[in-house]
Amino acid sequence: MQLIEGEKDQILAIVGEVLKNSPKQREDLIPLLQKVQAKLGYLPALAMEKIADGLNIPAADVYGLATFYNQFRLNPPGKHQVKVCLGTACYMVGGDITLESFERRMEIKEGETSPDRLYSLERVACVGCCTMAPVAVVDEEVEGKVTPTRVDGIMLALQDEEKKNEKELKSNQEEGEDA
Amino acid sequence: MSNFTPAEIYKELLEEAISQGEARKEKTRVLVGTATCGVAAGALKIKEDFLREIESKNLSDDVDVFEVGCIGHCYAEPLAIIAKPGHPAICYGRLDDGLVHRLVEDFLVADDPSYEYAMAALERNDVFPTFEDFPRGIYEKKLILEQCGFIDARDVNSYLAREGYSGLAKALVEKPEWVLEEIKAANLRGRGGAGFPAGLKWEACIKSKGDAIYVICNADEGDPGAFMDRSILESDPHLVIEGMILCAYTVGAQKGYLYIRAEYPRAVTHVQEALEQARMKGLLGNSILGTDFNFDLEIFQGSGAFVCGEATALVNSMEGKMGMPESRPPRLAQKGYRGKPTVLNNVKTFAYVPLIIRNGADWFKETGTPESPGTAVFSLVGKVVNTGLVEVPMGTTLRQLIYDVGDGLPNDREFKAVQIGGPSGGCLPESALDVPIDFDSLQDAGAIMGSGGLVVMDEDDCMVSVARYFLEFTQHESCGKCTFCRLGTKHMLDILTDITKGKGDGDSLALLEELAEDVRDGSLCNLGRTAPNPVLTTLKYFRDEYIAHIEEGRCPALACRDLILYYIEPPKCSKLCNVCVGSCPTEAIFTRDDGLKEIDQEKCVKCDNCLKACPGEYNAVVKISPPVLPPEKVRVAK
Amino acid sequence: MSEYVNITIDGHDIKAKKGERVLWAALDNDIYIPHLCGIRQEERPNAGCRLCFVEVEGASRPVTSCTKNVEEGMVITTRSERVDRLVKTAFELILSDHNLKCRECPANRSCVLQDIAKKRKIKLRHDRFKSIVREFEIDDSPAEFAFDRSRCVLCGQCIWADREEAKVGAIGFTKRGINRVVTTFKDLPLAESICTQCLLCVEACPVGALYYKKNESDDSNKNSEKNS
Ligand SMILES: Cc1cc2nc3c(=O)[nH]c(=O)nc-3n(C[C@H](O)[C@H](O)[C@H](O)COP(=O)(O)O)c2cc1C
Ligand code: SF4
Ligand code: SF4
Ligand code: FES
Ligand code: FES
Repeated sequence: MQLIEGEKDQILAIVGEVLKNSPKQREDLIPLLQKVQAKLGYLPALAMEKIADGLNIPAADVYGLATFYNQFRLNPPGKHQVKVCLGTACYMVGGDITLESFERRMEIKEGETSPDRLYSLERVACVGCCTMAPVAVVDEEVEGKVTPTRVDGIMLALQDEEKKNEKELKSNQEEGEDA
Repeated sequence: MSNFTPAEIYKELLEEAISQGEARKEKTRVLVGTATCGVAAGALKIKEDFLREIESKNLSDDVDVFEVGCIGHCYAEPLAIIAKPGHPAICYGRLDDGLVHRLVEDFLVADDPSYEYAMAALERNDVFPTFEDFPRGIYEKKLILEQCGFIDARDVNSYLAREGYSGLAKALVEKPEWVLEEIKAANLRGRGGAGFPAGLKWEACIKSKGDAIYVICNADEGDPGAFMDRSILESDPHLVIEGMILCAYTVGAQKGYLYIRAEYPRAVTHVQEALEQARMKGLLGNSILGTDFNFDLEIFQGSGAFVCGEATALVNSMEGKMGMPESRPPRLAQKGYRGKPTVLNNVKTFAYVPLIIRNGADWFKETGTPESPGTAVFSLVGKVVNTGLVEVPMGTTLRQLIYDVGDGLPNDREFKAVQIGGPSGGCLPESALDVPIDFDSLQDAGAIMGSGGLVVMDEDDCMVSVARYFLEFTQHESCGKCTFCRLGTKHMLDILTDITKGKGDGDSLALLEELAEDVRDGSLCNLGRTAPNPVLTTLKYFRDEYIAHIEEGRCPALACRDLILYYIEPPKCSKLCNVCVGSCPTEAIFTRDDGLKEIDQEKCVKCDNCLKACPGEYNAVVKISPPVLPPEKVRVAK
Repeated sequence: MSEYVNITIDGHDIKAKKGERVLWAALDNDIYIPHLCGIRQEERPNAGCRLCFVEVEGASRPVTSCTKNVEEGMVITTRSERVDRLVKTAFELILSDHNLKCRECPANRSCVLQDIAKKRKIKLRHDRFKSIVREFEIDDSPAEFAFDRSRCVLCGQCIWADREEAKVGAIGFTKRGINRVVTTFKDLPLAESICTQCLLCVEACPVGALYYKKNESDDSNKNSEKNS
């Protein structure tokens, strides 16, 4: 993945700061990765390399760890994150159908981010509200009884929001130009 | 060391907590259940609604709004308890802004408890029944869940005021051996799955005589259908913390960790706060309750790999490595975290410890069976009326649990199976419903107590597909270290997938069974060793369903989507209603010239929407398996 | 305390060094036990390949000999119905994920998989499990060797060589479960990684996954020698 301008400095600054405030033993690796991901939303290769240097361990090991655990992502998440619950209760009432519906609407597969970086789709195991199954977490909000029709509704709402944002952006730009 | 005895110091803490509690009780309190289950159902908004309504009525000075944990009645979330002086504390369920508005107006302002909306009272009274009067109340017995949802999880005083930490105060004047003997006498068995006696584990650790010993609480809770451990940590964190301190005192540990999965942010926050408050009160850290016993706790956030619940994998991940299990021996008690003797117990196991020390081993053994004393905690989900957290004495039968505590299956559906123990557990049929719930009986029946997920299934659930679901989970979570689990579960999954698609053949079952046994016998760790359980038990009890898939291409439960099709029965279709047409996400339903609706099978994605949408008086949409339209039903499309 | 313990393997009385593991004690005495992932010096054996099962008297089920320490009086049998069944399944599972085109493989005739098949009389080609070999791009970036992941059996021998012998840290395991692979940081071609091309990993690979490229100054018997 190509880093956009400015991203590199941001990554270096954040990793530097996280490293500065942490002990640097091998056993601090996971907490370090968690802190960096909490700030950046993902683990860019550059960050992994710097952390490896900081702990004086092979970068291949950091890479191994980051690809082993579900929590870590190597690509930036989409602006809107949808997590579909495939816990036991949700699966039993068609969580997989819900997931499929999102895949169809977003035109991406589970675990992917749309090319415009607007949406990403993940599956999770039991978010703890099985009574509302099937459940999806849309931008940290839990949505219950997410049937395919509801998926359409959710996606329309998200798309509307994006359209509005775009318009605002445009009008802001125009205003800016006017001024 | 301080000049005061632990008992004296404790008494002071207790009095302070009680007087704070009394002061609170003079005011009206609204307790909103904001564990993850509640939050998911909108509890935080309900709390805001209460605050807003209360403010608009100028009651802010007279009413306190608190957040509490999960009381276990998750099906009625969001929930709140209102405790108004002069009334019994009453719990209201299924709240929304309208109901909040009413409660504030009628109860808080006008003093009418609006019983028509109440679920139950919390304490015995002459006017309204309590939770214990619920049919499930007879079977339930709450030990470790007792305070969940009733105390303020974010205030140590709330725990202290109900005798919290009294076990610690009691133990600290005794020798560590005394605590050990008490735990051994109680025959407390580990609640993380295998049921190994905690006392023996602790003793082994003491005997290894390392220069340091660690105590770790396993709160990884990876079962995709279970959330008891999270609820306890969110709702009553000090109970677990006290248990860990007692364990540390017994084995001589100075440092401990709570391994909590990062997906449980509320649990992490609540425990973090609880640790800080315990330290401030002198209950944790250096010279605990004025003695020379030092012990501190830290949180380690697990990064979401099911296999990290396995003891050696958990330790590897804490050491900054991939969460790969190691072959044992050595056990953790000999060589654990940082190579030192380590005690690892489940959240619930630790939660029982303060109660046993407080009330004695004999008290603990009054509940449950001789071999499995105490209670069992389950998250009851699936096709059952009362979903949520339940705690019943060991020895309760599955039938009682499902029909009396869970109030049976909804919509008069027929019971088919119950899955216990999550991905490592098994599916038991009707005939096993009278099996008592305890470690050994469940094991004999082919399931395990496991992680405490309990899923009820009805006639609409396909056992092949359920087995496939769990296997897909374990296959996805296999660490990949050993051949049987990495490749064996993959092949098993492929075979099962073929069967659910109608592509199984005569040899599929034999191969599946053979492979399942080899994966069970040959895998390195218990993830692989138990992964075949859902498959082996369904093969044992529901073989006919497998055979129907393979030989007839038919899914008896009408669940496997490759083996069904959706069909609108012309005599039942009303012609006048258009609901199904609108409900279809792929526009597969069209209106024929004669007004009847029909499904274009090419476009249908089998999402079930139209079947749900078709009004009850018609019920015209049906599923057919195998997916061929009988000749009389075949019509020329369009 | 004596340095040695007496054990019996398949009826042979054997003196084995205390603390030794059964696998090595057997091999030292020319008693064959199949194995892929075992590394003698490794303190905590990987125990991943699951080929080295034996019966130990008193144990309720077969145990992996690479993890079992010898004990005085231990009685071991390398074959039994249970052992053979597990080994056969494990072996066939490994082969189902192994690019089985021996004739095209530089390790042909020197491959440990062929050796195991011969010694245990298990067919290399079987039809119990369908092949799930995935396509990988061959990494032929290094000057003298190449890496074909479709032949890799994940034994970890190369990683041990890289870490413990070469002390470089260029390669390691990544990902989880069925997706597990040996690779470099960011999956870079070896030549672009910190790999020093010391060739120790190639020497360590028991199959044809890491292999010497054939070049003009052909010393083609290198590949066939390395496992002897
Ligand atoms: C794959 C796997 C996952 C496990 N997950 C958990 C878990 O989430 N929580 C837990 O307490 N034990 C889990 N266990 C069991 C632990 O290895 C260990 O036995 C347990 O934590 C010991 O505590 P106890 O004696 O109090 O039960 C798991 C085991 C395996 C093999
Ligand atoms: S059984 Fe599965 S999880 Fe356990 S070591 Fe083997 S591959 Fe890893
Ligand atoms: S490349 Fe060779 S040595 Fe390395 S893990 Fe694969 S098979 Fe083993
Ligand atoms: S299974 Fe989806 S919320 Fe529990
Ligand atoms: S050599 Fe023992 S498991 Fe591989």
